[in-house]
Amino acid sequence: MWAQILNATIETVYMVGVALVLSALFGIPLGILLVITGPRHIKPLPVIHRSLSVVINVGRSLPFIILLVAIIPFTRWLVGTSIGTTGAIVPLTVSAIPFMARVVETALLEVDWGVIEAAQAMGASTQQIITKVLIPEAIPGLVLGVTMVAVSLISYSAMAGAVGGGGLGDLAIRYGYQRFRGDIMLITVLVLVAMVQSIQSFGGWLASRLNHR
Amino acid sequence: MSTVMIELEKVTKIYGQGDKRVVALADVSLQIKKGEIFGIIGLSGAGKSTLIRCINKLEEPQAGTIRLAGQEITNLQGKELRAARRKIGMIFQHFNLLSSRTVFRNVAFPLEISGVKPKEREERVRSLLDLVGLADKINAYPSELSGGQKQRVGIARALASNPEVLLCDEATSALDPDTTKSILRLLQDVNRRFGLTIVLITHQMEVIKEICDTVAVIDDGRIVEQGSVVELFARPRSAAARRFMKGVLHTEIPPEIQERMSAEGPRQQHGKTVRISFIGGMAGQPIISSVIRRFQVDVNILYANLDFIKNMPFGSLIVEITGDEANVARALADLTAQGLKLEVLAGVGPDS
Ligand SMILES: Nc1ncnc2c1ncn2[C@@H]1O[C@H](COP(=O)(O)OP(=O)(O)OP(=O)(O)O)[C@@H](O)[C@H]1O
Ligand SMILES: [Mg+2]
Repeated sequence: MWAQILNATIETVYMVGVALVLSALFGIPLGILLVITGPRHIKPLPVIHRSLSVVINVGRSLPFIILLVAIIPFTRWLVGTSIGTTGAIVPLTVSAIPFMARVVETALLEVDWGVIEAAQAMGASTQQIITKVLIPEAIPGLVLGVTMVAVSLISYSAMAGAVGGGGLGDLAIRYGYQRFRGDIMLITVLVLVAMVQSIQSFGGWLASRLNHR
Repeated sequence: MSTVMIELEKVTKIYGQGDKRVVALADVSLQIKKGEIFGIIGLSGAGKSTLIRCINKLEEPQAGTIRLAGQEITNLQGKELRAARRKIGMIFQHFNLLSSRTVFRNVAFPLEISGVKPKEREERVRSLLDLVGLADKINAYPSELSGGQKQRVGIARALASNPEVLLCDEATSALDPDTTKSILRLLQDVNRRFGLTIVLITHQMEVIKEICDTVAVIDDGRIVEQGSVVELFARPRSAAARRFMKGVLHTEIPPEIQERMSAEGPRQQHGKTVRISFIGGMAGQPIISSVIRRFQVDVNILYANLDFIKNMPFGSLIVEITGDEANVARALADLTAQGLKLEVLAGVGPDS
């Protein structure tokens, strides 16, 4: 039993970890693009801004369980399978990208506009403003945002587990629920709670460490 | 002779459209000379920030041209605009320092973006921090500094790229009076040391009085008056300028004295109550005692006030001059001849 739980925990960490990194890889640039193309920001591009916003909203409004099923053909085409941890990473990533983009947007919009203008007045280019002002100034907010995405990825990964994705969710459903193993159910829940707690505390600690405001 | 550093020609800036249309600047023309400290004063909403922000194109005017050292700013774009901006320093009311960077890295910022090598950067930052008196705060974060210290960092940062012009948008409005004075002194120091042209906007006449050479008064998007600061204080022409002056120079007769004047009037037959205003060197001379001696009149000082505009004494005196009619008249004529501005407030006998 303990070996199973350990194995499932590793699977969950793997799924969430990979999905988090991938969604950050795509979601952070999207969030930056969303912000800077906004009206009265450093690179106003109304068409791009609005289309991006619509796409993100669509992604955000799809329930995860529906997205999971709906993109099975895409998942198969991309990674050759739609089941197991690898199969679960694709829908997890796809659903986390728009979330990540919004979270990044919120963090970047918090940056004091006066500071951005000061950089403009000093002759900074758009790229320099992004890399030297927007991102560094938003770091604490970005860390908290990524923490939020990580926590929701854990709960989504449990859902992905329910449709054969592996991990703690899978274990809880197969043993805890279908085979009436209350002890396994309890332990998986405790492990999940511990995971969420530690991610949240670490994120909060890191954000305040990096905050010089 | 002095050359023109910044020139605005018929600059018009309009925000919004329809009912939200606001004419922030209407046909503004200005000439700012190289090496001077040029003040722009106006009430809230008069268009001061808009005006100063047009100079580095943070705002784009709808009409008019702005030239800086002969180069037209108004039609610059992209790379050229960024290069031009590097020659214009700017400081702000709320300092606008990067909270994620230490003092050192804040001052290094403009050098970093213009590609100065790290070693050179470090030397330059250290000398700038020495200049503004913050060498010991080099590794502090802005949140650990007082307002005055933050503005010093702002000034060091603005000077880092060796600008020809420094724009100050209400740079002292968030500071207490003592700190304001010390920041103004620093600005005056860099103006003299580097021959830097400084444009500063403010709603405080004290700031203008303290360090500006030339001043423009802006009211509702229009320049209603401009000239030397001394000239403005001696002869304010616009209503807006007079309004600002009131609080700074006590040109008003205090109510207690006004009451006394109307209640008693001059006590003797031939006497006048006069306000004597002076500007410049007069303060050091024994004008009053000399008048008393030479014309055998009595002078009773009711009220006196002395102030300084950029180290130039400026003040007014309300006196009662009494004595023989002819002597009083001669005394008044003599004071006028010395270049003093006389205003008879009350009196018996013929006016001079
Ligand atoms: N971005 C903007 N959009 C619309 N109207 C604006 C904008 N910026 C300024 N205005 C308007 O233009 C006018 C001039 O504003 P400006 O900020 O230049 O005034 P100011 O003299 O700097 O005032 P203050 O002393 O309060 O800073 C005001 O009526 C203001 O409401
Ligand atoms: Mg303003």
